[in-house]
Amino acid sequence: MADYREAPLASRPKSLDPNEYFNLSSDFRRAEEDRAAIRANLKRQYQLQLNNPLRKELIEDPALTQWVYARTNPYPHFRPTYKTSLLGAVFGVVPLFVMYYIFKTDRDRKEEQIKAGTFKRPFSLSS
Amino acid sequence: MLPEQPVNMAGVVFRRWARALSNGNRSGISAFLLGNRAASGMTKDSLPGSYPKTPEERAAAAKKYNIRVEDYEPYPDRGEGFGDYPKLPERSQSERDPWYQWDHPDLRRNWGEPMHWDFDAYIRNRVDTSPSPVSWSSMSKQLFGFIGFMLLMFYLGEKFPSYQPVAPKQYPYNDLYLERGGDPDKQPEEVKHYEI
Repeated sequence: MADYREAPLASRPKSLDPNEYFNLSSDFRRAEEDRAAIRANLKRQYQLQLNNPLRKELIEDPALTQWVYARTNPYPHFRPTYKTSLLGAVFGVVPLFVMYYIFKTDRDRKEEQIKAGTFKRPFSLSS
Repeated sequence: MLPEQPVNMAGVVFRRWARALSNGNRSGISAFLLGNRAASGMTKDSLPGSYPKTPEERAAAAKKYNIRVEDYEPYPDRGEGFGDYPKLPERSQSERDPWYQWDHPDLRRNWGEPMHWDFDAYIRNRVDTSPSPVSWSSMSKQLFGFIGFMLLMFYLGEKFPSYQPVAPKQYPYNDLYLERGGDPDKQPEEVKHYEI
């Protein structure tokens, strides 16, 4: 396992992560403590709402709202650059022409064969 | 959301409706019908905005998303539509600790935790980035090596077929002369299927 290499869809297992064994600096520890403090605060807010006996409505998750809003409103932040216009052309415009061309030539070839009488029906059961 | 005292929901709705009618700059019937009621309790500046340029904007954005200022890293501003949404590590939910008490156990996520941009792709039913038993390159080589080898062998088998030698079927009685409607009085020609 010493030659385990990471990949985009395969992360490093915790037992092979050098941070687990060698990173003992106080900066790292303080950062971890800050993150734990934020997490604990959010937990507290959630638990207070969850266990409130007088609550009648759903608990709204602001992170979820932000995520949904960000995913559905990318348009104000869009800017036509080389990369974005290239992507738009490759995925939006080129397939139309390519598919038209492919289907048209295939259909024309089949039509020629049928007219000439050489068309062989695939998966034909009656012959 | 802050912990609230018990509120009268109908009163809240009525107050919001009345405020909307007085605030909105639509006139008459359209204000009454369309209203100005927000669907959630979030304000405009707690929603995602545009890419942060100054350090103060970065700090405000980090606070908005409940992330440490040092940890907050927005997507690079290449006009791809991300705005100031944070760039979280590309790790799927199946990598998270299964034994920790998550608020939402099936999603392995706590309430209020910032969601990855591709969260819906990284749920446990979908893309999984957890460590593989052997390295990815080794797995790829094994799989594609096997598939490639099988394809090659099948192609060669088509090109150079090898089977038991066969010949046309041999029938007795002079190739079944009488059964095939031959004249019983005439003598058929001799058909020999052997050589000595």
